[in-house]
Amino acid sequence: MKKLVIAALVALGMTVSSLPVMADFTFIVPQKPGSGTSVWTAIVAGELEKHLGEKIKIVNIPGANDIPGFNKFHNDLQHDDKTVMVSHGGNGVSYLVDPVDYDYYQYDPIGMMNLTIINGHSPGFNPYTGIIKFSAGSGMNPDMMAHILLKGGPDLTMAQAEEIFASQYKYIKGMSGGDRRLSFQRGGELNVTRESTAAYNKYYNGKEFSKVWFSQGVFNLETGEIDADPNWPNLSIHEVFEAKWGVAPQGEFWEAFELVRNFRDVMQKALWIKKGSPETDRLRAAFRAMAADPVSMAKIYEKTGKYDWIIGEDMVDALDILREQIQPTTLRNLVSFLQFTGKPAILKEDLIK
Amino acid sequence: MEYFTILMAGVAYGFIVGLIPVAGATVGLIAIYSFVGYFDDPYMLVVFTTAIVVSSSIGDSFCGVVMNIPGAGGAAATMIDGFPMSRRGEAARALSAAISTSWANGLIWGLLVFLFLPYYSKIVLYFGTQEMFTFLIFSMTCVVFISSKYYVRGFIALIGGFVVGHIGMDPETAAPRWTMGWEYLGDGIQMIPVMAGVLAFPELISAYRMKAEKIFLDNAMIKSQLIQGVKDSWKYRWDGLRGGFIGGFIGLIPGIGGNIADWFAYSQTVAATKNDDEKVGKGHVRGVIGCEGANNAQKATSYVPTILFGIPGAPFEVIIMGLLMYVGLELGTPAVLADTRFFDALLSSYMWSLLIILPISYMFIKYAVKITNIPFKWYFWPILASLIWSSTQYTGLKEDYMMLAICCVAGMVLKYLKFSRVSFLIGFILSARIESSYLQFTGLYEWGDLLSNPLAIIFLLLAALAAYWGAFKNKSRIDFV
Repeated sequence: MKKLVIAALVALGMTVSSLPVMADFTFIVPQKPGSGTSVWTAIVAGELEKHLGEKIKIVNIPGANDIPGFNKFHNDLQHDDKTVMVSHGGNGVSYLVDPVDYDYYQYDPIGMMNLTIINGHSPGFNPYTGIIKFSAGSGMNPDMMAHILLKGGPDLTMAQAEEIFASQYKYIKGMSGGDRRLSFQRGGELNVTRESTAAYNKYYNGKEFSKVWFSQGVFNLETGEIDADPNWPNLSIHEVFEAKWGVAPQGEFWEAFELVRNFRDVMQKALWIKKGSPETDRLRAAFRAMAADPVSMAKIYEKTGKYDWIIGEDMVDALDILREQIQPTTLRNLVSFLQFTGKPAILKEDLIK
Repeated sequence: MEYFTILMAGVAYGFIVGLIPVAGATVGLIAIYSFVGYFDDPYMLVVFTTAIVVSSSIGDSFCGVVMNIPGAGGAAATMIDGFPMSRRGEAARALSAAISTSWANGLIWGLLVFLFLPYYSKIVLYFGTQEMFTFLIFSMTCVVFISSKYYVRGFIALIGGFVVGHIGMDPETAAPRWTMGWEYLGDGIQMIPVMAGVLAFPELISAYRMKAEKIFLDNAMIKSQLIQGVKDSWKYRWDGLRGGFIGGFIGLIPGIGGNIADWFAYSQTVAATKNDDEKVGKGHVRGVIGCEGANNAQKATSYVPTILFGIPGAPFEVIIMGLLMYVGLELGTPAVLADTRFFDALLSSYMWSLLIILPISYMFIKYAVKITNIPFKWYFWPILASLIWSSTQYTGLKEDYMMLAICCVAGMVLKYLKFSRVSFLIGFILSARIESSYLQFTGLYEWGDLLSNPLAIIFLLLAALAAYWGAFKNKSRIDFV
């Protein structure tokens, strides 16, 4: 037994001593290795290293709803000048309606990519009249709300939206991305699906079992409104809505949708560092250099679709616009609706003070 | 050229881990988990892992035959007849019979699986939520009632694994579940420390304390015995083919495999030789051939549920799924099922590995035996180090070490109390899958809908049959795990 204990200790020592030399920067990803954000971070970090001139180590700290990793950055890891947080759209949704420690407004933003989400439906299915079957999930909520908005038409009230959800919607729980794709492809089990631009092109575009419905559009930094998606002409949600209903979308449900959609998609992939870090300017400069490098961007676009970076001070402006959109009534409506759909959303009074 | 280099590396590595007692494919694959980030090309990882699986299957026969201790599970049945043969000075004959039978069945079943796998993938489109839900019920029943003679303990272990697999996030509400406030558990307990702690660690300890016997090959006899072993394989080809059929069938059922296939094939060989003058069980080459037929066949067919449905067909497939997920190949998804390059890499690496490992195992048989004679304590340190290293890649923080320690203790307790660790692992691994399948099923269908689905009815009937056979008719009294 004594020998075994010594063996275990030696093995532990061998393990620790074989740890790789620490890199210069550490990027925290709140998801598992192999997840979408991890893969995205690996590509971006690989390109950023060239312009930063230093090595980047990626550390995955996954957890429920991808919250623990960001919380750990907020409470602990951010005190290191060279530790960067990589957040994704789901963190934005959680920021609005889940109990989280992190707060975007307490860090220096480095850069973010306003990726958008494409929704499609089965060709033989009319999503405006039929019962929609769609896979549930925290990150799916803005898409589910968009479906109800498009079904409901102009000036949709919260009560009307709840009625549509209850009577014309099946929000199927327990589906992974793979399950969702297979169930949609199989036909009948799911009749509406959603993907990032790159994934939509990979899995569905041009296939007989899918028809593009709408894109969630991109964020206009000047106006704070949803703009046309350059990757999907005439298919942004407001364009599709106007084509169907003849007027621009508006009303309390639209505002609630717009709030959660923007917090998810505008910060779909975003990087943060401790406020006042001496590395902030250097990181932003490296990001600008990377964004101007066609070779680097070609590699990133291959994964994401063609979307622009929002870097440094522009990101601060975008955050200010997003903060203005958190109006008390809008947030209350959003929380109340998500609770109605079964999500344990909470009203965070500190966001509306 | 790069692919060929990586294939050769996988074959060499797999053969060596196969030779190491209790290591084999599962531990060998766990050990490379921490290096997976170096594979820029995902198809290279497909080639590497496939080569490891194929060559380790051949390598693990050596432990049973020349050391009288099990290899990676698969060789436990082989040693019953293999080691007495070695004592009689027929080690090379036993090894040759084992290798040639395992190889031939690997070729047959590998061709059946990998050549036609792209066509099988069409099945997935007809395999909806109801079919998947009932298929999982059938698989669970097999795990409990067929994988061990202690089916009550097997059932408890399965439930235990299922409960542990539930720790993390509630998929219905996205709220933390059973985490006891420990944030580290928010994304669930990770697979690698559970595999390393519950499955591999107790075996390492056992092997450390196990008394291995040394056998040396007689140079003068090697050539003639190798030829005799091949002749034996041909003479008793029906035993080998029956073993291959049993292994091939068992590999298709998620969650059971490895020992079960080998022991089951062995028991059928015993049954087939009841009236034989030379009794199997005391050093007859038929005993070696009967169970080795199942070895590679089971490994080949266990790829079918893993690739088509993302449900691991055997414990080592769990690691392969995790490794491939890391490089963006999510098994059981339309992307992979439509990926012809993936299937090409799988087929070519499987076939090339088989072709390469055969001459290697014959040419280096003498040296391979010498490797098995190296004292186990020399392997113990690096294997334990690699298990710790792989298990602490999740966050790299102290919680990873704590979790591994907990899993090691749990593994020792389960082993000591004879609770099936394989049942526990299958419950753990399929926990999320079962829950999500249940949620999908109840979200889309009513229970009564199952009665109008022929495939679902077949799976439910098979589950009932497996339970009945396991509880009342399974008289083999072999403890498979």
